[in-house]
Amino acid sequence: MREAGPGDFSRAGRRAVLRGAGSFAAMAGLQACAPGGGGVASAGSPPSATGRPPSLVPLRATLDQLIDVKCCIRPLRAAGPNLGTEVIGDTLIVHNYGHGGSGWSLSWGSAEIAVGKALSVLPEEIAVVGCGIIGLTSAVVAQRAGLKVTIYARELIQRTRSFRASGSFTPDSRVALAEPAGPQFGDTWERMARLSWKAFRTYLGLPGNPVEFVDSYALSDKPIEKRHWPADPAITGSFATAGAPQQNSEFAHYNERIKDIMPQAVDIPAAENPFPVAYAQRQSAMHFNFASYGHTLLSEFFERGGHFVNRDFHSRAELAALPQKVVIHATGYAARDLWGDRTIIPVRGQTGWLVPQHEANYGVRYRNVSLLSKGDGVVVMNNNPDIGEMLGVGNSLELPDRSAIEEGLAIIAPVLRVRGA
Amino acid sequence: MTVARKAAAALVAAGMAGSALAAARGPAAEGGFYTAQQASDGSALYAERCAACHGPALEGTWEIPALTGKFVANWAGRPVGDLKAYVARAMPQFAPGSLAPDETDRIVAYLLSANGWPSGATPLGSGATLDRRLPAPGPRGMAAAAAAKPGEL
Repeated sequence: MREAGPGDFSRAGRRAVLRGAGSFAAMAGLQACAPGGGGVASAGSPPSATGRPPSLVPLRATLDQLIDVKCCIRPLRAAGPNLGTEVIGDTLIVHNYGHGGSGWSLSWGSAEIAVGKALSVLPEEIAVVGCGIIGLTSAVVAQRAGLKVTIYARELIQRTRSFRASGSFTPDSRVALAEPAGPQFGDTWERMARLSWKAFRTYLGLPGNPVEFVDSYALSDKPIEKRHWPADPAITGSFATAGAPQQNSEFAHYNERIKDIMPQAVDIPAAENPFPVAYAQRQSAMHFNFASYGHTLLSEFFERGGHFVNRDFHSRAELAALPQKVVIHATGYAARDLWGDRTIIPVRGQTGWLVPQHEANYGVRYRNVSLLSKGDGVVVMNNNPDIGEMLGVGNSLELPDRSAIEEGLAIIAPVLRVRGA
Repeated sequence: MTVARKAAAALVAAGMAGSALAAARGPAAEGGFYTAQQASDGSALYAERCAACHGPALEGTWEIPALTGKFVANWAGRPVGDLKAYVARAMPQFAPGSLAPDETDRIVAYLLSANGWPSGATPLGSGATLDRRLPAPGPRGMAAAAAAKPGEL
């Protein structure tokens, strides 16, 4: 059984000139499936000098607005997502799972790779196992390439773990550990991230705003500095010895490679800061509105003649026994059991959801807590930034903890009183 | 409450046509998959180890699978050993592999009982008992299972 590594793919080759000093750490507050925090970004280009604060409608972060708490497990795979292939009997299995907190963000690029491998054996018809964001996107990409597609899954996307993410473009959130992934994975990652970015842009402005950009404000009582995670020499264990990362420095980060397309954080001068907090930065960020996006993608799948079969799988042999002889395997965290892939490390995350507040269309981050106004609600996260990417690592308890969200709302509510509102 | 009544209650709670399945279940048929004692013990274990996620009546949530309804469709036709192996390997999700083998047997017995699969004299757990396939639901499938000798299905 062969597992092709990410190094099998050619270099994207566009990254060399893209290095810079900026940071995407502020994005950590908005990572898919809830973040580990990680501080806020340093300033990039100067802000527009209007001399006065923008007119913002205040976000209501009160308990009476809390309508949901969702919890999920990110499938962090130490070496990065499995994009390899293997043959079982007469069936080609093309893997597409294990994207950590970056599944949404990398979905199109990852599907492009998987479908490319499927097409290489000239099938007329394929199966996709799994209907989260990776499986469904793979299915649609395969249909756009002219293939007949059947999805086999326990649930449609609305009830998968994908819908329990926070749904922001965070393409390097817990996507790999630096050492097991190796230097080559960065190129594959960049190719996936750039292609996905282009694909998501084709959804901007569509009815229901399946994808949109909003401004997010990082607020602080102290000057905002970039957060670093140097290796702690006191921690001697690592993924190699313990089977799971032991500290933040083990995580791979690649966002620097695409800073030419991703908006950077900018400092807001005091006169333009609408919030009652000394320091603020603004950053535009792309996010996905689950309800609209899921509906749009499923509609395309069915309009193109896609079939959905509701079923569960319990062994590799069952995939090989499907009538389709090319199978894209996209079961996410479930691959840990189904494929016996013990390099998948559970990373728990949770989000709270307030009643949608479309008139307050922005995000705020302060101390442990972030809010982001989205189509299907205002997402609330309360994640200790001192723990960083390690938050939730190894935790596969998938039950929500409402008290953490309530605590977070109490922390952030006082800073939401914007000037001029 | 007896195991049978619990099973029936669970089925009713799940909105299934539970009465037909429960009625077709022989009380101590040779063709059963587990003993009534195992299922009864399993009920308590389920409450302790499983109910926090899957719910006290196996009803599940929007996110977490129910252990009725679709569960029957999922496991019917498969060897009961597959179900046991899955529970042993993957459950509970927050501590997979933490159930002792006899605990797994009893929890599986409870799940089978709650879904109308028949009990019998032979405890679930030994080699041959795990090879038998779970019959399709419905009076005919269940009745055939209840009437069968071990090894026939």
